[in-house]
Amino acid sequence: MAKRKKEKEEDLLKNERIERILSPHPLSFMKLQSLCLFLIIWGVVVGWLVNFSEWKNLFAGEWLPVLAWGLVLLLVGVIASLIAIRWSVFFLFLIVFVCGLGLMLWQNWLTAEIVPVFIPFYSVAVSIVGFLIVELYRRSHKYIISNLRIAFKGGIFTKEERTVRYDKITDINAKQGILGQIFGFGTIIPITQAGFGLGSDKTFAAGGIELGGKKAKLLGLAGGGKEVQTPRARSYYELHGIYPYKEIKKLIENLVQDSVITPYQQEQVEFQKQQVDIQKQMRDLLKMQTKTPREKPATALAKMHEEEEEPEGDEEPEEDDEAYQQEQVDIQKQMKNLLKKQIETKDDSSEEQDEEEEK
Amino acid sequence: MDGSQIDTFVFAPLAPILGLLLFWFIQLLFIESQRYMLSKIWHKHEPLCRFTNFLGILYQTICHALGYSITRSGISDFVISVDYGKVAPKKEKKGVFEWVSNAFLFIGPFFIPSLLLLIYFILLINSSAFSFPSGYYESFSIGLQNFGENLYSFSEKFFGFLFNIDFFNPLHFGFFILLIIVGLGIRPSYIGETKKEKIDMIYDLRNIKNLFFGKPLYLIFLFITGYIIFYISFFLKHGWYTALFSLLGWLSIIAIAALITTQTIILFIKNTDELSRPWSLLPYLTIPVSYVTMRTVFYLYPVTYSNNISLIVMILSTILITFLLLKYKTNKFKTKKNIKKAEEEDGEKKKRKRRGSSKE
Repeated sequence: MAKRKKEKEEDLLKNERIERILSPHPLSFMKLQSLCLFLIIWGVVVGWLVNFSEWKNLFAGEWLPVLAWGLVLLLVGVIASLIAIRWSVFFLFLIVFVCGLGLMLWQNWLTAEIVPVFIPFYSVAVSIVGFLIVELYRRSHKYIISNLRIAFKGGIFTKEERTVRYDKITDINAKQGILGQIFGFGTIIPITQAGFGLGSDKTFAAGGIELGGKKAKLLGLAGGGKEVQTPRARSYYELHGIYPYKEIKKLIENLVQDSVITPYQQEQVEFQKQQVDIQKQMRDLLKMQTKTPREKPATALAKMHEEEEEPEGDEEPEEDDEAYQQEQVDIQKQMKNLLKKQIETKDDSSEEQDEEEEK
Repeated sequence: MDGSQIDTFVFAPLAPILGLLLFWFIQLLFIESQRYMLSKIWHKHEPLCRFTNFLGILYQTICHALGYSITRSGISDFVISVDYGKVAPKKEKKGVFEWVSNAFLFIGPFFIPSLLLLIYFILLINSSAFSFPSGYYESFSIGLQNFGENLYSFSEKFFGFLFNIDFFNPLHFGFFILLIIVGLGIRPSYIGETKKEKIDMIYDLRNIKNLFFGKPLYLIFLFITGYIIFYISFFLKHGWYTALFSLLGWLSIIAIAALITTQTIILFIKNTDELSRPWSLLPYLTIPVSYVTMRTVFYLYPVTYSNNISLIVMILSTILITFLLLKYKTNKFKTKKNIKKAEEEDGEKKKRKRRGSSKE
C-alpha cells in the first residue's frame, strides 16, 4: 500500500494529497464471473448426466452429449443477452462451443469414449481461464481519490485514464446491488458538467421491427426508437464496486461539497468586491487631495474616470477642503452601510445554521 | 350423547391441530436458537448475517406479496433490500381480505420456504413413496396417533434421504444448498449491529396473537371450517382432515431439519473462528478432501453403504480435525494448569531465543 502510494505520489499536482487508493471488490464483477460459474456448473452437470446418471443411456453416442451441451449453452446465451441487452454474452458462449467442437474434430476426440470426459474438463478449463481474465481485468483498475480530484485508471492492454476535478462534478450517482449490500461494496458514478458518466438506454425488443430508420431490422436485432438518459460508464470511468462503499461515498460527497461555493460565500465575495471599490474611491480621493489641493473633488473624480478637462477659475482652498470632506463622509457612509449589511447577512446565515442543527 | 360421542364430535378435530402446534413451537425454538447463534458471529461474519437477513426479508416479502395476490388486492410497490422489505397493495382491501394477507405475512415465512423444498424433494425422489398411512379416525387419541404416524412415515423417508445424500449428484447437491438457504432464511428475525425492536421473535408472535385474537370472529370461522372438514371426512370415512394437517406437519419437519443443518454449520464457523490462520482453513479443507477420498476409494472398491460411510467419515474427520486444532492451537480444552504450563514453556522458549540472538 505504501509502495503504491509512493508511486502515485509522483503523479500528484501541487498541494495535492492522496486520500484513498481503491480497487474494485473481488465480487464486483459478478456478472462476468457468473458466466464462468454457469459454464462450470453446466459442464459438470453434463458430465454427470452422460457418465453417472440414470439417464445416461439417453446420451449414448458421441453427438448427443455435444448437441445437448451446446444447445443449452447457446439458449442460456440468448436469454442472458436479452436480459443484459448485450449480444456479447451469446457470442462468447458461441465461441466457447465452436472452439470446443473444433478441438474435438481437430484432435479426433469426437468419440463416445472421449466426449463424456472432454466436455466437463473443457468447461472447467475454459471457466478457470475466464475467472483469471476477469480477475486480471479487475486488478487493472485503480481509483485514486485525492483532495483535488479523482483519477480513474484501467484496462489490461490499452490503459485508459480519466481525471475528474471536484468542482466539475454536478451530480453523483451511487448504486448498490444485493451482493454489494451483503458485502459492503457499491458503485459511484461522478457525472460531470460535460455529461460524462451518462449513458443512454435504447428500448429493445427481440424479434420486433424497427421502423422509421433507413432500414427496417428484423428478428432479434431490432430495437425501439426511444432513448432514456441513465447514469452509466465503463468500469474504469466510474468508482466500480468500491469497498467500503458508505465511507467512500461520504468522503466524495464531502470533497465535492467543499469545492462548491455556498450562497453565503457568494454574498461575502460580493461584499468584498464592493469594499474594494469603495477603498479604491477613497484612495483616489486622497490622491487628489494631496496632489492637487485646488482641484475640486467631484470634478477630480470625474476627471479620473471620464478624463475631462480641468475647469478654470480661482476658488477658495477652504471650499475645496469642505468638498473633499463631504466626499469622504459619503464614502464612509457607504462603507458603514456595507458593513452593516455584511453583519446582518452573517447573523442570518448563522441563525439558519442553528435551525438546521436543531432540526 | 355418551363420552365417546363427545370425544368424536368435540375433541377429535383438535388432535392434529394440537400436534401441529407442538411442532410449530419446536420450530420457533430452533429459530430463536439460530438467531442467538448468528448474533454471536455477527462481528466476524457480517456478510453472512446480512445474507441471512436478506433471505428472511425475501421470504417474508414474497409471502406478503402472495397474500395480496391471492386476495386480488394487487401489488403497487415491491422493495427488498438487506435490511428492509416493503409490499404495498394496489387496492386497500379491508375485512377478511386484509386478515388473509396478514396471515400470509406472519405465518407464511414459517411454511412457504419449506413447501418449496418439499416440492423439490417430491420431484427428486419417487413421488409414489409419499402417502398418508393413517387418516380416518374417531377419537382424540387415535387422531393424535394417526397424525404422528403420518409424520413418522414422512420423517423416515426424508431423513433417510438426508443420510444417504450423494454430493456427487448435482440434484442432491442442489437440494442440500436449497436446504441451507431455506434454513438460513426461515427466520423472520433480524440480526444486526443495533437491535431492531420491530424485528424479533416476540414481535412476530405478538403480531400472530393479534392476528387471531384481534378478530375473534375470523378465528371462530376458522375453527368452524376445520370442524366442517373433519365432519365431512368423518362421515365419508376419508382421511382428508388428518392429511391436511399432516402436510403442514411435514413442512414443520423440513423446516426443523433445515434449521438443524444451518445451526450445525454456524456452530462449525463459530468454532473455527477461534483458530488463527492458516489453521482455521484446515477444517474447511477436510470436508471436501475426506468426502472425495472416500468416494474415490468406494468407486474403486464398491461396498453397499458407500454414500453413508463417506458422509459419516466426512463428518467425523471434520469434527476430529477441528477438535484437535482447538486443543493444540487454542486454550479451549485446556485446564488452568495446562495453560500455565504452556505459558511457562512459551516463556522459556522466548528466553532461549533471546539468549541465542544476544550471543550471535
